[in-house]
Amino acid sequence: MKSYKIDGTHEVIFSRDMTIAELLDTDYHLLSILERLGIELPFGDMTVGQMCDRYGMSSALFLQICRIYATSDEEVSTDELRTEDLTTLIKFLRSSHHYYLDVILPRIEAGIESVLQYCDLRQQLLLRRFYTDYEAEVREHLQYEDDTMFPYLEALVSGKQPEPEMIEHYLDNHTDICEKIDDMKSIIIKYLPERCSIHQRCDLLYDVYAMREDLARHTLLETDLMAPLALMAHKR
Amino acid sequence: MRRERIAIIEPSEMIRRGLALLLEQANYDVVCQAGSWSEAESRLATTQPEVIILGSHVVGSECNMRALHIELQSVTFVILATVACDDDILRQADGVINLYDNAAKLSKKLQAAIEQSQTNPYSDSHDLSERERDVLVLIAKGLANKEIADELNISIHTVMSHRKNIAHKTGIKSVAGLTVYALLNNMLDASEVNM
Repeated sequence: MKSYKIDGTHEVIFSRDMTIAELLDTDYHLLSILERLGIELPFGDMTVGQMCDRYGMSSALFLQICRIYATSDEEVSTDELRTEDLTTLIKFLRSSHHYYLDVILPRIEAGIESVLQYCDLRQQLLLRRFYTDYEAEVREHLQYEDDTMFPYLEALVSGKQPEPEMIEHYLDNHTDICEKIDDMKSIIIKYLPERCSIHQRCDLLYDVYAMREDLARHTLLETDLMAPLALMAHKR
Repeated sequence: MRRERIAIIEPSEMIRRGLALLLEQANYDVVCQAGSWSEAESRLATTQPEVIILGSHVVGSECNMRALHIELQSVTFVILATVACDDDILRQADGVINLYDNAAKLSKKLQAAIEQSQTNPYSDSHDLSERERDVLVLIAKGLANKEIADELNISIHTVMSHRKNIAHKTGIKSVAGLTVYALLNNMLDASEVNM
């Protein structure tokens, strides 16, 4: 018998009592969440609650991250979370940055190069330029968070009270790094010449879609979870 | 804040009135409630709804979505999924709401549907019109909306609506992406843009 319930829209209700194996069965993409949180396999019949206790993190936060990544539900709730959960959240966000910069972007870059060899010189220049500009933009965005935002939040968790305007400034200036990758997807699907090999084109598209999907959820975590938790910490 | 005018057409009184209550609380103006399409039809002209929510029972049997889109072009159609519904019908709607949605989710879905119906005038053509091509070339050249409006002698509002259509048809939103699109399609020369 399964230890989890299904709600009216046929989506699994994630809970502390479900086993890690069941959690992964509902959506194997959640493996990457475990990886980013530094959680090691194997799990045996360990439940989500037991695992969270073992790793010293709040199961409410863990389940919230899983919900955002595995379901279409975009409602984020900080009700059961505490300021201290920011530490785990930041660890997760940092690992995601590492994944974008060191794993998926290099793969997309290689994919673009392999597709470009079938294009004429002018197209090559255009698309390479579009990609490198985008990559630089993403790099700068993530760098700012790594170097400025996260250390600021860590100071906040440790009880210091740095200036609160920082969060509002952050939210106001949180640039959209999803739009251009969407555009890249459209260009690759619709407008690249037929000469490009279908395999290389598909491999590249898989990576672009994966990056796009991950970034959208990542952004949601930052604006709807990280920022409210930080504001909560200020009011404390 | 402006309240959107909504009509609900659903045979179950329980569902209809419950939904109306939720929508009123979420600050929508429910202007018409009816149990069937024929009952609603005569009242649409006087109540002028901007959004029509159709129970999935109602669609298909007595009202055809494709015809409705053509007849009532400016109206946003949302399906209330009460019973299993043909995928084809769902695709023709601007949005789908679910019996289990709460007020917040309902509101979010309705806004998305309204936006969708505005950017997606029901049309099968994905080719850019001549005017849209003019606007696209100017976007690629780096002009702002105001400058494009002046150059083409049209209002900013019209420029915006062209931009929406271009984004919808090409699947590309950013200026950098649109520039690449215009260049790939030889709509202008690389020397004319700041890349």
